[in-house]
Amino acid sequence: MEIRLDRAEFLTELAPMQGIVERKSTIPVLSHLKLQARDGKLHLAATDLDVSLTSWCEADVALEGGIAVQAKKFMEIIRSLRGEEVALTLEEPKELTITAESSRFKIHGLAPEDFPTLPEVDEASSVEIPFKDLKRMISKVIFAISADESRFQLNGALLKIKPESLELVATDGHRLAVVEADLEGAPATDGEPPSVLVPRKALQELQRFDGKGDVAYRRGAHHLSFRLGRRELICRILEGTFPDYERVIATDNDKQVVFDTRRLLESVQRVALLTGDRARGVRMSFAPGQLVISAANPDLGEASEEILCDYDGTSFQLGLNPDYVSQFLAAVETDSVRLDLKDENSQCVGHPVDGADRRYLCVIMPMRL
Amino acid sequence: MPRIHLLSDHLISQIAAGEVVERPASVVKELVENSLDAGAGSVRIELEAGGKRRILVEDDGGGLGTDDALLAFDRHATSKIGSFEDLERVATLGFRGEALASIAAVARVEMLTAEASGEAYRVRIEGGRVRVAEPAARGRGTTLEVASLFFNVPARRKFLKTPATELRRSVEVVQGYALARPDVRFVVTSDGRSVLDAPPVAAGPEGLRQRIGQVFGSALANRLVPLEDSFPALEDESGERIHGFVGTPETTQGRRLFVFVNRRLLRDRSVLATFYRAVRDEWRSDQYPALFLFLDLPPEDVDVNVHPQKAEVRFRDPGTVRGLGDVLRSGLARARGEVPAPLRSPADGPRAPLAWQGLGERSRDGAGEERSWLPTVGAVVGEEVAEAPSPLYGTGGGGAPGRPPSTRSDDAASQAARLAAVAFPPVERAAVPLSGRSGETRPFRLLGQYKGTLILLEGPDGLYLVDQHVAHERILYERLRVDLAADRTPSQALLTPMLLELAPAESLRLQELAPALGECGYRIEPLSGHTLAVTEIPAALRQEEAEKVLLELAADRGEADPEAEGGVEGLRQRLLEGLAASLSCRNAVKMHHVLGAEQMESLVAELFRAEQPYACPHGRPIVLQMTDADLERRFGRRK
Repeated sequence: MEIRLDRAEFLTELAPMQGIVERKSTIPVLSHLKLQARDGKLHLAATDLDVSLTSWCEADVALEGGIAVQAKKFMEIIRSLRGEEVALTLEEPKELTITAESSRFKIHGLAPEDFPTLPEVDEASSVEIPFKDLKRMISKVIFAISADESRFQLNGALLKIKPESLELVATDGHRLAVVEADLEGAPATDGEPPSVLVPRKALQELQRFDGKGDVAYRRGAHHLSFRLGRRELICRILEGTFPDYERVIATDNDKQVVFDTRRLLESVQRVALLTGDRARGVRMSFAPGQLVISAANPDLGEASEEILCDYDGTSFQLGLNPDYVSQFLAAVETDSVRLDLKDENSQCVGHPVDGADRRYLCVIMPMRL
Repeated sequence: MPRIHLLSDHLISQIAAGEVVERPASVVKELVENSLDAGAGSVRIELEAGGKRRILVEDDGGGLGTDDALLAFDRHATSKIGSFEDLERVATLGFRGEALASIAAVARVEMLTAEASGEAYRVRIEGGRVRVAEPAARGRGTTLEVASLFFNVPARRKFLKTPATELRRSVEVVQGYALARPDVRFVVTSDGRSVLDAPPVAAGPEGLRQRIGQVFGSALANRLVPLEDSFPALEDESGERIHGFVGTPETTQGRRLFVFVNRRLLRDRSVLATFYRAVRDEWRSDQYPALFLFLDLPPEDVDVNVHPQKAEVRFRDPGTVRGLGDVLRSGLARARGEVPAPLRSPADGPRAPLAWQGLGERSRDGAGEERSWLPTVGAVVGEEVAEAPSPLYGTGGGGAPGRPPSTRSDDAASQAARLAAVAFPPVERAAVPLSGRSGETRPFRLLGQYKGTLILLEGPDGLYLVDQHVAHERILYERLRVDLAADRTPSQALLTPMLLELAPAESLRLQELAPALGECGYRIEPLSGHTLAVTEIPAALRQEEAEKVLLELAADRGEADPEAEGGVEGLRQRLLEGLAASLSCRNAVKMHHVLGAEQMESLVAELFRAEQPYACPHGRPIVLQMTDADLERRFGRRK
């Protein structure tokens, strides 16, 4: 391998690789990046076996070839170099020489054959999803994905392609977030729209993509592919049964209260300062014309805050986990938010008022305090 | 008038009934045993109001002829043994000839029995008196109906628990026989609702696995590793046979331990202790996997006539229990996914001669083994381990109960002999050495930290070692317990209920505990058959932890009766302690974690302010003390 390439462009393509590379892997090759010079391009690849990312840069390829290099060190070197151009040369099979202006590094690597073969998604037909929509939708559900690794089927979000819309759903068993946005040109299917579980890490990395245009989404037998421009993210499909979420969402919450999103978010966060480390709960006391949010902790003390609102039903109290409430409110883009409630034993369902999406809601199960 | 007189036969019967018939479950037990002894292929049990109102046991066994039907209700009337010699080799479940007479003395009993179709006979007895005896119609087999138990013994009736509790106990009894006899169909209904339906299964280990699945659900059954494969040799000429299943590590939730000797379920301590020891040896764990163990011995090698309820047995050959240990160890090793380890008896294992004395009364673990991360302390000194009394190994004092003296090399032996001269007696239980509770503080000085694990202190009367992890655990535990007890425990509702697949008796037990569980942040609802839905869990627990606590409670057979333990409040305390123990262990500083001097000082100061600074919530010692006198003896300055 003997190539020259633009350093700035190279750095742009290297950056998203960082999130993929396993930092604490017990398999050494997974902390490496694969570099492969071919057809006037330098191809890059990183994987943790579940999620893989590939991309490429324009390059003057004098001699084709490849190597796997330790990702973190390699990126540090490229970032630290001076000059607009960088040259990569393979003088010996597993020794990569990096030169830029007067700097010269010679680093040890692994043979490119040692790098895992990346999965491919054969399916030819793709669904085009505007990247800005996808990114926005991910941010609206990703917080509800379960961190409990023993419940692996909840360690991702459900992606469903409907005839004219796209839906993303996530839950950790205590709350549920559903977002649905219009999607043009989705393929018509018979019967139940196809759905698939996308692992959290893939969604996180997708969020970090930048660029305009559409993401081409393809689904294979065991893997999914998301391609945006030069980059392609491939992830393993999370196996497991996702809860029947539509049945979980209450339809008889007749008490609807509208709040200023920012005001409610700040109040909840303030009061939550006096909840303990575990079993966190704030009490939401609704009375005609007002909501009082309060918390008490035997070690710390008490806090309460009053918010005026247009509620005119009977008084009742509801316990909620303030983290769940504020993560939802932070994801809401509109100025106003509506909470649908019933009583102290029933779920709270939040919706943005006049949001951009066809539907966005977050179900939060109550606490008994 | 003489004050001493002979009791009437009727009163004698009533008194004797008390020994055999304690509650509906004991009736069920006796009747099911009769059915099985009569060769039944199917046993159906109907219960009303937990058996308090009505118990019906119907079988398709041999039945009785007209003459036998009446005689069956006489005391010590039995078909099962005929001579003293028979008693030596009892092969049937019942044999004392007390059951029917005892039941008939305290209930309204009707028996419908037929040796062959068309030759049935009906006998009705109330409070020991025959009311009806007439020919009737029925296919081969026997139906026994016991109504109004203790109708004539109000004192007994008062001691019966709620129908739910009584039902659970009866179901536990049937469960035991269902496991013992997979070839027999068992059906239990309660107030018309089906509680258990176990169709007969094929003989052999897979049949047994199927039966376990019918009772406990397939999730458990599929995680069992057969015991017998490892030792086909045990099926030797003596007729001795050990078989069964042991669970994989995932089955350690709760104690599902079932031991059968000649198809008789028992809670024999020596057998269970062997199992506990095997788990500790093989897994180094305090958690016990499921066990379904069957010992088939020649009848003359076991004495079951020890206890009227036959819960214990005596083995003629003490080697039986030892051989059992080997089988269990190899089964456990395989269940954990290891190649069977070379067999060793606990006596050969390395013993850490740690002669330091744990403070406080509740030290449950053998101090030596648990402290294996301190390999060298005291290794130069050859004294015996002063092992703390352990409930698992009997209640004997120190001196390593259950372990023969270790065999040492000559070198070690001579060293031991030399040291015998200075052998020092067990350190007396010291009174509180450093006190915070009493308000009086005695000086202690921090010496440092050993291997990121122990805090060393110089006290006024000796050297102290503090286990930092358990010390912190103790502090957190006491804090949490206060917190949790202050209010009702906050609960978190679940979006979709968590489903628990349980054996009928386990499910009933949790339903019994529902009010107390509600106080602790749980809400459970019965769904169907084996399944319970949990809709709310304590907010402080992750879902898997919440599930574990419930499963442990569910499997806690009989030992913790909500009513016997100070009612709901007692149970609530227990649950809270369980929660606090699990949370504090998770948050406590770990071992091999280097602490600064200030951190150590504050940890120690807080520890000695604790209510019980000497034992962690799981019962392990926190502080070890070596007194000045001990040290002087060890250095030979004092005799």
